[in-house]
Amino acid sequence: MTEPLERECEVFARYLSGSPPSDYVLAQYRAAHAAGVVDPPGGATRFDEFVVRQARRGAWLARALDAHARVFANGSLLRRKLVLLLALLEVRSPHAEALDTPTGASRALMLLTMAWLGVRFAFSVALVAVLLIPARVALGGGGAK
Amino acid sequence: MKHVVVVGSGASGVHFAQSALERGWRVTMLDVGRSAPAAELPHASFAALKREHPDPAGYFLGRAFEGALFPGAKGEYYGFPPHKGYIFAPLERVAWRARGFDPLLSFARGGLAQAWTGGSFPFTADETRDFPFEHSELQRCYGVIAQRIGVSGAVDDLAPYLPGHAHLAPPLDLDEHSRVLLAAYERSKSRLNGKLRCFVGRSRAAVRADDRDGRQGCTNLGRCLWGCPREALYTPSITLRELERHPSFSYVPGRVVTRIEADGANRVRRVRAESLDGGAELVLDTQHVALAAGTLASAKVLLDSLRAHGGVSPVLTGLMDNRQVLVPFVNFAMLRKRVELDSYQYHQLALGLERPDPRHYVHGLVTTLKTALIHPIVQSVPFDLASALWIFRNAHAALGLVNVNFHDERRETCSLALEVERDGSSKLLVRYEPAPEESERIAGALRDVKRALRALGCIAPPGMTHVRPMGASVHYAGVVPMRAERTALCASPRGESYDLAGLHLVDGATFPFLPAKNLTFTLMANAARIAERLDD
Ligand SMILES: Cc1cc2nc3c(=O)[nH]c(=O)nc-3n(C[C@H](O)[C@H](O)[C@H](O)COP(=O)(O)OP(=O)(O)OC[C@H]3O[C@@H](n4cnc5c(N)ncnc54)[C@H](O)[C@@H]3O)c2cc1C
Ligand code: SF4
Repeated sequence: MTEPLERECEVFARYLSGSPPSDYVLAQYRAAHAAGVVDPPGGATRFDEFVVRQARRGAWLARALDAHARVFANGSLLRRKLVLLLALLEVRSPHAEALDTPTGASRALMLLTMAWLGVRFAFSVALVAVLLIPARVALGGGGAK
Repeated sequence: MKHVVVVGSGASGVHFAQSALERGWRVTMLDVGRSAPAAELPHASFAALKREHPDPAGYFLGRAFEGALFPGAKGEYYGFPPHKGYIFAPLERVAWRARGFDPLLSFARGGLAQAWTGGSFPFTADETRDFPFEHSELQRCYGVIAQRIGVSGAVDDLAPYLPGHAHLAPPLDLDEHSRVLLAAYERSKSRLNGKLRCFVGRSRAAVRADDRDGRQGCTNLGRCLWGCPREALYTPSITLRELERHPSFSYVPGRVVTRIEADGANRVRRVRAESLDGGAELVLDTQHVALAAGTLASAKVLLDSLRAHGGVSPVLTGLMDNRQVLVPFVNFAMLRKRVELDSYQYHQLALGLERPDPRHYVHGLVTTLKTALIHPIVQSVPFDLASALWIFRNAHAALGLVNVNFHDERRETCSLALEVERDGSSKLLVRYEPAPEESERIAGALRDVKRALRALGCIAPPGMTHVRPMGASVHYAGVVPMRAERTALCASPRGESYDLAGLHLVDGATFPFLPAKNLTFTLMANAARIAERLDD
């Protein structure tokens, strides 16, 4: 069975880049966690950890929870983990090239896609905000662990 | 043989030393002088580093991931690569406390300009009106420095604001985005020049296109930000290496100069320096000291020296720095293109706004975005990360930044003083208050910059313009201004302190005015000028 951090790295890498992380990226992801660099200042809350556990379930959930966190908890544990992974992916081939290559969309398709991304983002933020209410009540949104 | 002790190995110190050696002086350079780690994979381009480096995360993000930027991070983001950390590592013995100012000091071999972007802009005669010597002296020294360090650029529409000088080499090839911007400028020139009084041209950079003097020409490796491994981009440590080969030069790193002592006639007699590793204090007898520790650190040495000499510690007023405002932009013509990683990375274009008073010229450096880390930018896009990344991939080649610089003037309310602790040690107290009319001035200029960007086919996304804190431009000057007439706490036209004879201030401390243009080229030229007049 894969350990949670490995599973998390795998899901988040697929969410960000569409492909799994290399062994190197996984090792660095682990090292950064061991060094404590993803811990938010003041420590992660129980709610933060709950959100990360949910995001680990799959790329779609990761995206929806990330959208919500972008608006309501930009410096949260989930955002920090995702940004760390993006930083690791961008410095190592072949992800580095893939992350920095235009998609080849025509101008019209690009505009349409951006509109779709915007709608999906807004929808995710609203939906997740509602779905997370019970967890927030149960775990106390901002309280320390 | 005449002997001078130079304090500091930054841009000011090394060029002062070189000119002093050329005039037959013996030079001892005392420096904290932290040294750089060795260049890694010097042959590799930026893109190749990501393929070939055995530990790219260690290289780009740092072994402790200190180069990763997380959402909500506090403080000014400089984007320095981790292996440049040695340049900015603080030194406990030169402590400070600041209000309204974010000081950045360097104790590196080569100083702050080990991390500079090479912008080398001569001041005009109008801008040096308060300098108590003929502008032609400085103009000649620009040529001397350009020959030493290699400055490339062109005399174009910006010439009234960026005059030509001797040894100006032709500019490097433009990257595609800069080419597109310049072509757009040519098309809308009459509008920009006419109503807006906005001019665009080639920037001036201390980068060599050809192999010369042991340095290799720029081959578009794209690693400028990461430290040019070919030394095409000039840094002061290159000059220091040359100086170390001179028989009359000695370099003493690992030393923190604490004060300069003078006799009863206020004439310099010796220099005292502590050892970084706790060794014995170094005491050097000399009648000439050139302080080139950078404006803030030099001021601290001067204040400590005056305190030890006269028992009182004065306040040095007139601290100046260029306010910088960062205006990111998107160029529609470049959307969906592939970013050109293998190209020169820093500003290749400059944008100037003429103002009714020529000393208030506003200076913009136009940098097209290429090899900076992308995660700090992607996380700032107001979307989930994957969507932000999709947008970024299609927009990367279209992104750019105008770094808008504003002039500064000496004011009583901006000062340096000492805070003396119980144990007798001291801290530098930095105080800065912007000019009352500053916000109006900035707002007007930003309106014009944004109009100019629109004329060039770009937009500045709303809400993304960033006014940097004072201190962030690291163009410090003005606390011991040069004056023609003898005045306490001022310097003569030769940079010599009116308080301590034989003490020459050869960095930005003596500038009586700070134009909007980055000052380092003038620091070097002025340091060379002072050294040339050491015998007077
Ligand atoms: C990121 C960045 C980009 C920049 N880009 C540009 C640019 O494009 N164009 C431009 O014109 N300018 C630029 N600058 C500014 C430029 O780097 C500085 O103006 C210049 O380096 C100042 O040189 P200096 O020799 O006066 O002082 P410093 O560079 O500060 O050097 C000080 C020296 O003194 C030594 N020292 C300090 N205190 C002591 C002491 N007590 N005893 C012994 N030694 C001491 C230090 O070790 C160091 O060697 C940039 C700066 C930064 C940080
Ligand atoms: S592009 Fe930059 S790093 Fe590369 S050779 Fe030229 S100056 Fe050096």
